[in-house]
Amino acid sequence: MSWAAHDLEPYAFQRHLKLKVAFVPLLIGSYSPDMMTKWFVYGIHIGPWDLKATDPAKFHRGWPGFGFTHSLLYGLVIGLIIWKVFGSKLWGLSFVVGQFAHALTDTGDTVGTMLLFPWTFHVHLNAWAYAGQTGRMTDAAAYFSGLGSMWDAVWMVYGFYSWRVLTSDFFDNYIYRGDRFWPWINRWVPRGALLTIYRAAFFYGTSRWIAWTIWAHVIHHYPYDLSWGGPHWVHAAHP
Amino acid sequence: MRLRLLRDRIPTRLDLRVFAGYCLAAAVYIAIGVSVTDFLLSFWVGVAYIVLAAWAVPTIVRRLS
Repeated sequence: MSWAAHDLEPYAFQRHLKLKVAFVPLLIGSYSPDMMTKWFVYGIHIGPWDLKATDPAKFHRGWPGFGFTHSLLYGLVIGLIIWKVFGSKLWGLSFVVGQFAHALTDTGDTVGTMLLFPWTFHVHLNAWAYAGQTGRMTDAAAYFSGLGSMWDAVWMVYGFYSWRVLTSDFFDNYIYRGDRFWPWINRWVPRGALLTIYRAAFFYGTSRWIAWTIWAHVIHHYPYDLSWGGPHWVHAAHP
Repeated sequence: MRLRLLRDRIPTRLDLRVFAGYCLAAAVYIAIGVSVTDFLLSFWVGVAYIVLAAWAVPTIVRRLS
């Protein structure tokens, strides 16, 4: 489980692939594996009802469950559907790149992903603890105390190093020019607002990373544990 | 040629001004988020906030002045 990498990775890909990818489907692809499932992993309260998966890790990443959303096959199938139904190979391919990045990044935790689904083997590097089953706040505290947050920081630093990807010139020459979506939406939304929307995921990922780090370590004093598989003070889920 | 290469790598004054604006917006977002963590949970809240803080407010201020 990653908290900011999925917001930041698309900018790194955009820097290198320029007109070969479209930003919107790239970002949607990067978010897609968790889109339908995260709320049920952490659980929600609706009136008197508590809705939460009985086995959050299995529901999120396993089979039976929605773990197939973190497989390469899922990315390819949805990418192919986008290509054939909407007639845009660029959108289809960009979705695949974003979804692959998410599926590969999430192999870093202790549950990992069924990358080669329908083969249900979980590829997992065990670098940081998967603690989604403990609830959102404990998961946040654990994630921002372990190597997962350091991996996010790598993407953040790379994003700042690649600052030109966030400039107005880059937006005009590659993002706007490379995808008909932007001129289409520009009929109703001014260009300045579109530029801000393009930068939004980077802003969101970076600001959120800083805010959760302050929350976990300045407000609540959770201990850092940057050892492999840590933090070990939380109960990590395994496949 | 070398000077041009160097110029391409260094942000302009305008780039830095835009960056400073985003840093200010981020500082407020982080302060709210640390106090009310629910604020940090939604991507759409983040998008709405930054559009308001980094585009709508400066545009309105520019028009008024």
